Amino acid sequence: MPKAPEIEPDWELVRKRNFVERLKHEKGGLAVLDDLPAMIAAGYEAVPEEDMVRLQWYGLYHDKPKLGHFMMRVKVPGGRLTPRGLRTIGEIAQRFGRGHGELTTRQNIQLHWLEMGRLPEVLATLAAAGLTTTGACGDNVRNITGCPVAGLDRDELFDCRELLAEAADFFIRHREYSDLPRKHKITISACAHQCNAPEMHCIALLGTFRSGQPGFAVKVGGGLSTWPRLADDLGVFVPAPEAIDVLRAILDVWREDRRYRLSRARARLKFMIDDLGPRRFRERVEARLGRPLLDGAAPAAPADEADHAGVHAQRQEGLAYAGFPVYLGLMNGEQMLRLADLAAEVSDREGGRESGHGRQDEVEIRLTRRQNFILANLPAERVPEIVRRVAAIGFPFAAGNLRRLAIACTGNPFCNFTVAETKGRLRQIVDHLETAFGEQAAALGELRLNLDGCPHACAHHWIGDIGLQGTTLRERGAAGERLQGYDLFLRGGLARGAAIGRPVLRRVPGDVVHLAIERLCRAWLDGRQPGEPIQQFFIRHSDEQLIDIAGVPAEVLAR
Amino acid sequence: MIHEPLLQVAAAAPGAPRDLLDEFEAGQLANDFDAATPEEVLEWAMARWRQRLAICTSFQAEGMALFDMAWRIDPAVRLFTVDTGRLPQETYEIMEQVRERYGAAVEVHVPEARKLERMTTHFGPNLFRRSVEARLLCCSVRKVEPIRGALDTLDAWVTGLRRDQWASRANIRKIEIDHDHGGLAKINPLADWTAEEVWDYNRAHDVPVHPLYARGYTSIGCTPCTRPTGDGEDPRAGRWWWEKNAPKECGIHCPLETGGLEHELEAMLHGGGAER
Repeated sequence: MPKAPEIEPDWELVRKRNFVERLKHEKGGLAVLDDLPAMIAAGYEAVPEEDMVRLQWYGLYHDKPKLGHFMMRVKVPGGRLTPRGLRTIGEIAQRFGRGHGELTTRQNIQLHWLEMGRLPEVLATLAAAGLTTTGACGDNVRNITGCPVAGLDRDELFDCRELLAEAADFFIRHREYSDLPRKHKITISACAHQCNAPEMHCIALLGTFRSGQPGFAVKVGGGLSTWPRLADDLGVFVPAPEAIDVLRAILDVWREDRRYRLSRARARLKFMIDDLGPRRFRERVEARLGRPLLDGAAPAAPADEADHAGVHAQRQEGLAYAGFPVYLGLMNGEQMLRLADLAAEVSDREGGRESGHGRQDEVEIRLTRRQNFILANLPAERVPEIVRRVAAIGFPFAAGNLRRLAIACTGNPFCNFTVAETKGRLRQIVDHLETAFGEQAAALGELRLNLDGCPHACAHHWIGDIGLQGTTLRERGAAGERLQGYDLFLRGGLARGAAIGRPVLRRVPGDVVHLAIERLCRAWLDGRQPGEPIQQFFIRHSDEQLIDIAGVPAEVLAR
Repeated sequence: MIHEPLLQVAAAAPGAPRDLLDEFEAGQLANDFDAATPEEVLEWAMARWRQRLAICTSFQAEGMALFDMAWRIDPAVRLFTVDTGRLPQETYEIMEQVRERYGAAVEVHVPEARKLERMTTHFGPNLFRRSVEARLLCCSVRKVEPIRGALDTLDAWVTGLRRDQWASRANIRKIEIDHDHGGLAKINPLADWTAEEVWDYNRAHDVPVHPLYARGYTSIGCTPCTRPTGDGEDPRAGRWWWEKNAPKECGIHCPLETGGLEHELEAMLHGGGAER
């Protein structure tokens, strides 16, 4: 069946078919800011629902049940926050957001409970601290992610912090990139461990060298959601100074092709890459650039996923970074303030070496894509003390691997899409595994649990060691209420084992899902070949065997 | 390996085993069928699920067009509706018209008598005017629960959802898994049609039209909760117009088919999630 239409549709047809294209044409998403004072004056009840959609362009979504409270997503390019930036977000959480805060899988921070009347003050406060929510949601270049230890790590190929910051700024300043077919996700890094998941981004720039010259390989067309796809290597080498031009050309080829604006179900770059293949896509990018690209190849995938947890000496003499676990990605406003104070105090005590552009070695807070954080630029001799103090704020190393690596999406009570508990369920599962395995829990190693409440896959259930996606059961509870269940996704992963998992166990009842996971883990520990990763164990077993191991009767799964 | 089951299963699930899509398959199919015509989507879905598939309709233009298309493919296709007990007479008229015109049995699901008795005895027959919560309770007992009951017997259902109706529908796919209703398939063949195309189809095929459209209704539901809207008036004024603090979008854009209504309902009536 034909997918992309052969003849490119005109704008009239696009706007006829696509509500959001019509809405953007009538008034661009970014233009809603000019109307905000009038909207506030008129009151929440009177605000047109179209303008509520446009607020996404400033990182704002309705919280459930759409009665006047907003979630706000603050972009943190590359995950890099100054103490002042974190303090600002913490203050907003405390003053306007009931103290709630969460770290996301794309290095953003999300707050909740914000009211429309507070937005001008909130946005101005963020801007004063050098932060923005512009383009954090909606049809924009979303937060550009990167390695959270960029510029610090001893293994890093080269430092691309400036490029990342420049790209983040570029695609906000050039307003044509705020009218993309849909959201667009970019990652840029020269991390030797490729910790930033280049496999699942629309565009990934991967640092590499060619004849000693730093530059990037490019991967395109990755993404998860309801149509998961691993990115393809474009087969090029882009010298570092040309990176923005190439990013821009790729985005131009993408946004100018109206075929992919007809249907938002296919309005992601991955669909175009799948239709054209990387070679023909490259030709279009070269045509848009007006010159050929150099041939190249993406660096080989590393053996394992990395997240830079724990304490490591930095490239800078005498400094170290330390990666801390944030259980469930929850960091409340008070914790943000305490952490910001600690970071600022350490910076001040050390006197902070001044340079033309401010304090070069100021302690930074770096957010990671597994919803944790890293403190950077710590004086090595003070690390033990700092680790103790961070533990007292609620982020102890002793939390262990399971808590550090487990991630869940926002879910209840905030998200309008979720059909099941997310962070609460994940807590139940992790707590159960810790109890069930006791001292053996360490043997689980770096087990990655990725739990989502809906198919959108914010917590990447397709590529976890064990991925979970919420659904509802056919049975009802005693009072006729909906009962939650989870599909369990196995055999997925990133790095050398990059693969899209499959929902091997479906509709496992919520009240036994932790037991099913325990059994899968136990079977792996008991039955693995020496050094065999859990993904490989799942690949080696058939669906039927795994269903049998999990102990959920086939009749239940088939209901 | 022999493993003790996690759950004791009292008896085998009644009826034939279900034929449910998994998430990966659903995603691939949605992409494959994205540019397909409504008839192509229907033909595929009807061949796969046969009597385990049904079209859900409240006899508005979309549902009627879909039923006409499906009936032309196979007159044995199932059609179901919910009689909330508060429908306008005109809805019963078109129901009769459909029975006559197509020789089809319209499967009618009704609210549970006990619950209805308790609700109206306790809160009165017009509870929906008191508060958003009371209105949601009424929607739940009269409409949501009967539809859930119908969906429990199916492996796939067909809805008239269209992308151009509202931003939150702009992303719907023609083939999806309905995670709000136990994971059956939800087929949206008209996803990329405009209202105009639906009406063109209905005119060209002489499909019965709900009489209330001619009187200015843009959306047709229960008698006390819908009304006609004037030219240039926001169609959202046609439903629950007296409500002041209702969730945004749900005036008209969150019907049961999207799952939105149930999310609001659970959040507002049960104070948060769908936690058991």
